[in-house]
Amino acid sequence: MKTRLTALQETSRSFAVRVPAAVALLMVAISIIVTSRALSRLEDNQQRYLEQLSSAYLDGLSASLIPSVVREDVWEVFDTLDRSRERYKGLNVRWVTVTNDDDRTIASSAPDMFPPLEQMSSDAVAKFQPGGDVVIDEATSEARMMRPLVYQDQGIGRIYAVADVSGLMAERNQVLWELIVTNGLLTLLFMALGAIVMRWMLRPLGTLSQHLARSRQGSMMPIADEIVARQSSEFHELFSHYNAMAVAVNERELLASELAEEEKLASVGRLASGMAHEINNPLGGMFNALDTLKRYGSRDDVRATSIRLLEQGLAGIRDLVRSTLATYRADQRPRDLTPTDLDDLRLLIKPEARQRHLRLSWQIELAGAVHVPAVPVRDAILNLLLNACHSCREGGTVGFRAGVSEARFFAEVSDTGEGLPPHIAEYLERKGAGSAPIDRRSGLGLWIVKRHCDELGAELRVLEAGTGGTRLRLEIPLRSDVEHAA
Amino acid sequence: MLTGLVSLLPMRAATPSRAAEPLRFGLTPVFLTSDIELLAKFKNYLSRQTGREVQLVQRRTYEEITSLLLSGQLTAAWICGYPLVQYQEQLALVAVPLWNNQPLYSSYLIVPQGREASSIGDLRGDLHAFSDPNSNSGYLVTTALLAEKGLRPEEFFRETIFTYGHRNVVRAVASGLAQSGSVDGYVWEVMASIEPDLTTRTKVMLKSELLGFPPVACLASQAGSPDVMAIRSALLAMREDPDGQSVLSMLRLDGFAEEPPGLYAPIAAKMRLVRSLTQ
Repeated sequence: MKTRLTALQETSRSFAVRVPAAVALLMVAISIIVTSRALSRLEDNQQRYLEQLSSAYLDGLSASLIPSVVREDVWEVFDTLDRSRERYKGLNVRWVTVTNDDDRTIASSAPDMFPPLEQMSSDAVAKFQPGGDVVIDEATSEARMMRPLVYQDQGIGRIYAVADVSGLMAERNQVLWELIVTNGLLTLLFMALGAIVMRWMLRPLGTLSQHLARSRQGSMMPIADEIVARQSSEFHELFSHYNAMAVAVNERELLASELAEEEKLASVGRLASGMAHEINNPLGGMFNALDTLKRYGSRDDVRATSIRLLEQGLAGIRDLVRSTLATYRADQRPRDLTPTDLDDLRLLIKPEARQRHLRLSWQIELAGAVHVPAVPVRDAILNLLLNACHSCREGGTVGFRAGVSEARFFAEVSDTGEGLPPHIAEYLERKGAGSAPIDRRSGLGLWIVKRHCDELGAELRVLEAGTGGTRLRLEIPLRSDVEHAA
Repeated sequence: MLTGLVSLLPMRAATPSRAAEPLRFGLTPVFLTSDIELLAKFKNYLSRQTGREVQLVQRRTYEEITSLLLSGQLTAAWICGYPLVQYQEQLALVAVPLWNNQPLYSSYLIVPQGREASSIGDLRGDLHAFSDPNSNSGYLVTTALLAEKGLRPEEFFRETIFTYGHRNVVRAVASGLAQSGSVDGYVWEVMASIEPDLTTRTKVMLKSELLGFPPVACLASQAGSPDVMAIRSALLAMREDPDGQSVLSMLRLDGFAEEPPGLYAPIAAKMRLVRSLTQ
């Protein structure tokens, strides 16, 4: 129950963490896609804008330049370039150079770099696309464009222009950062919202978990109807199922305790009849001895024999009564298990064994008292032994062996019966199975064993369960001294 | 006086079409011709003073204006001393502007600021900017300076360009397009006060001797005509008139004066020197 509860709480907690984390991951993925899309659109727009602007610039320049380029008029070309600077301010031209068809500079807006009438270097020319496309160089934040000048179908020269696009680059960077910041904030916001929503949605699980936790302390507590009524359809259904289960478990628990009580009475009856039988056997002998005494009491040898027989019979009855008292004493204060307690068990099952003509193989390897509570341990072993007696066919053998190994007390009970059914073997070995009997009409003795095991923190293992017989081993950790003292 | 007026009336009446014709005043591309406000003021002043409609005629080159003047299509024109001496038979002086109260100016050889050059010899192999092939200060003076050494511009300089405007010479040198330039000293000085950003990127390497300021001229055959007289009167009266003073102030000039043709003899001498080398 505890494990299931912890698992439920962990699931609820992990949902409250996993969902916002998943939201964050999703948002980051969306952000990356949106950012790259936006930037690529921006890049396209900027490229188009630049191409349109440069095209307008080059068209305008070409028209004004052609007559001067035909004459290779240095001043006119320079004057045109110089005046165009103001007109095409938006393009932010770094420099523009006009050459003749042999790439000899006619004039440039940067005469220091490109002196008039000198050959333009092939390195400089190679940086431009021959097709006339605008080339954006992000490293130098410049756009390079080239336009051939054609007059009467003859190439007469070229315009080489370089525009400063650091503004566009800065805009791109700014957009990138704006997107990162905005998306980051949105991601955080959605994460927080996700966490709040999940906490709110998983609140019913908390209620369920609390009720399950309280159930550990006693019977299962149903969830109040008004709480159930407030839930969404899914949790309403879950809570209803839980309540139905709580009622069923409580009923079963009640029934089981009633059955246990019945079983207890039945075993008391069986014990009483066994005891009566056990007392009755010597009683016959004792009456015979008394009769002999009455008749031949004057004879010393007969008297001595009869008195010895009477003593033996009374001693047997005294031992039986003592062990019964020890087992069912009312003031059962916790005390350590002693080898005598285990020997008493032999007396208690003796009637059962005799009735079925069973052989008892008894082996107790205890030097003295062991730190395990005597009463529940004896009760558990007694039930196992009685069970073993019932499982054996007439003439079979019930074995018992007890000792201490590796700070654990162990008791092994074996029989030569037909073996354990698998579901009972599973029931015996399953931890926490003591909360309910196997079924309503069988295995109550084993249920009592399991309950004691759960209380004692004991481990019950099925060592053999085949048709050759069954061997069970009960192991109980020894109590510490502090615990013992307490 | 009344008689005089009466006697004038039939004459005016006899030439109604001529009186209706506007006076056409030619302007060479001196640096200020681009100033619309100045042109409007100058035109209004001339119109008011002459009582006639005045048309200001501008062309890109000195040659075009000189041709228009020689062909009688202009009443008068503000030309340069060089065309005046080139056509001294056909042309006559109307009035000469006064700058610093003198009818004189210089030609400047300018180089980019920071360039180490002190004589024309240092300019060998330059790309040199001239103003106009018919300009005294923007061409003839430098060409004559070279001619004195027996050199021609095309062999002394790597390349020469004509910018057709003194202001353009300053732009060409300031931008680094040309390594040196020949410019009107008056224009450079006035630019230094109104466009210092441009002139501070240049420095004056050499100033020529003082020469006759670019004059207003007319056809010699029209020198005594009422139209020319009217223009001369208007120009000479400029320094006395508030509107005229305003125009003069914009031109950074002190007025107009009548000067003898001998003022331009040094320019004529330079022309002859150059011609002697080329012919």
